[in-house]
This record gives sequence, structure tokens and C-alpha cells, in this order.
Amino acid sequence: MSAYNRNTIIVGLAAALLVGAVVSYFASGNPDGLEKTQENLGAADTAYQGLQAPPVAFQEYSLTWLGEGFWGNAAAGVFGSLLVMALLLGLGRLLRHKRHEADPGDSSAMTS
Amino acid sequence: MHIASGFLSPPVWGTMAAVSGAAIAGSLAVAGRRLDERKVPLMGVMGAFIFAAQMVNFPVLPGTSGHLGGGFLLGILLGAPLGIIVMASILVVQSLVFQDGGIEALGANIFCMGVIPCLLGAAVRRLWMRPKVGLFADVVTAIAGIVGVLAGATVVILLLSWSASLPGSVSLGHALGVMNFVHLFIGIVEGLVSVAVVRFVLTMRREAVFGVGAKEAIG
Repeated sequence: MSAYNRNTIIVGLAAALLVGAVVSYFASGNPDGLEKTQENLGAADTAYQGLQAPPVAFQEYSLTWLGEGFWGNAAAGVFGSLLVMALLLGLGRLLRHKRHEADPGDSSAMTS
Repeated sequence: MHIASGFLSPPVWGTMAAVSGAAIAGSLAVAGRRLDERKVPLMGVMGAFIFAAQMVNFPVLPGTSGHLGGGFLLGILLGAPLGIIVMASILVVQSLVFQDGGIEALGANIFCMGVIPCLLGAAVRRLWMRPKVGLFADVVTAIAGIVGVLAGATVVILLLSWSASLPGSVSLGHALGVMNFVHLFIGIVEGLVSVAVVRFVLTMRREAVFGVGAKEAIG
């Protein structure tokens, strides 16, 4: 990996983890714009059989066994951010392989 | 703005799943054909950052909070196809791991917070690829960011209305008014934060993100 890409990841990830683990602890606990609108209109009851993920490790944005304090929230922010990043880097790898298979002659054109 | 589980009727969430599924399939096809490899680390990092930023609810009106959507910003920085892929990944993780947004509502949520704002972001992306970027780009981008949030909020209410999940005594116009009034303030924050982050990226990673002087791999 080039130093350029490495620096992008380090700086960007540091910002993400700081926001997700620390800044988010100070977030407002009030309902968001949609929830509040539904509340105001009196539409808070669900009418359909939906599909909701079970709270396996995280209850909303808190790690269950750390509770709703600072550390439970920080764990959710760190885990979620890293999971999204891992997912996207993996997807990027897949797409790159796919492109090289489809058009092997083009592979050197855009490496940095 | 995540639609929770149980509010959308099966025909509505089914339709939205098909629409967003098509948008994701199209985005993956475009990205698979012409992916600029320098954008892959940026994609990952931006995904992590937007996920984290969405956890930060800021107060807007009394008793109400809002958080960044991020799709608009991603549309500017990555273009529509990659932006949609990143937003879809975030919303899937939020729904499956953090119970934020119903699983059956994923298509609707990806459309309102992913497809719509990503397309608007991509529309103003060109302004930031010019050799000289002036105040005009900041103003147009901030306004487009607000429009993106309001458009998403409007579609959310329309979907709830088509699902008969608004109370019968409330007119559609009134519901749209209440929803858009709140989201006007959230949209202003979205627009301003997007401009600030784009300015920062323009300073730090201009060539990789906006490809100034080089032909773009993904437009």
C-alpha cells in the first residue's frame, strides 16, 4: 500500500473513531426529526408485521454487557465504524479483481 | 430519518427494495467496470466516518434532534455509484447490528438517505472539479445539501402515507409540512457540514478525490 493511501486511512479512521467513540457520547438523546414528526402527528404505533434485528451484542448503540455509559457507546462506535470499513475495503478488493478479470490490459493504468 | 420496523406496508417496502436493489446493482456494475483504485481506501474511511457521524445527534428544535445523513457528502466526494454503495453498507450494518431502521424498510431507507442525496451530491461534484473553486460552489452545494435532506424527508412521508401509517385525521400536506419544517434545520446543518468537509478534502486530497487535471474514472 502506498504511503498516500496509508495516510488517508490513518487520518480518516482516527477522525471516525474520535467521532464515533467520544463525540457521540455527548449526542442529544431526544427523538430525531422523523420520530418527533410521527410523535407530533400521533402516528407512533406500528401497523405491520415488520422485521427487526435482535439485539445480539448491541442494544441500539450500546454494547449490551457494558451498558449505556461511555464505554458501551464507545464500543458501538468503534465496532460499527470498523465493520463498515472492513466491509467496504473487502468489496473494493472484489471489484478490483472483477475489473482485472474483465479487462486485464488496463490493470496498470490506475495504480498509484 | 431511519424508518423503523412495522410502518411500511408490504407493497411499499417491496417496491422500495426493488428500486434500491436496482440502484445498488447498477452502482456495482459501474464500479466493477471502472474503479479508480485510489478511491477504495477513501471509500472505506468515508464509510467509517459517516457511520460515526450518524451517531452524533445534535439538538435542532425543542425536544428534537437530528443527525447527519452523509449521502450528499459521499455523492460529492465519490460520485453517485460509489456513494450509493457506501451508504447502503452503512444502512445495512445499522439495521442488522444496531436495530436502527427496520430490516424490511432497508430499501426505503437506502433510497431516502442513499440514492436521493448521493445523486444530488454527484450533481454538484462537477463544481468542485474545476481548477478554481470559488464561493459559488460553496453556496450551490449548501443549498443542494438542504434540498437533498428535504427530498428524502418528503419521500419518507409519502411512503408512510401510502402505507396508511399516518393517522387518518392528519392531511398529507400537514404531515409534509411538519416533517419538512424539522428537516429544514437538519438540512442546513447537513449542507454546511458537507461544504466544510469538502473544503477540507479539497485541501488535503484534491488530486485523488476530484482528479483535477486527470480524466475521471467514475463520474
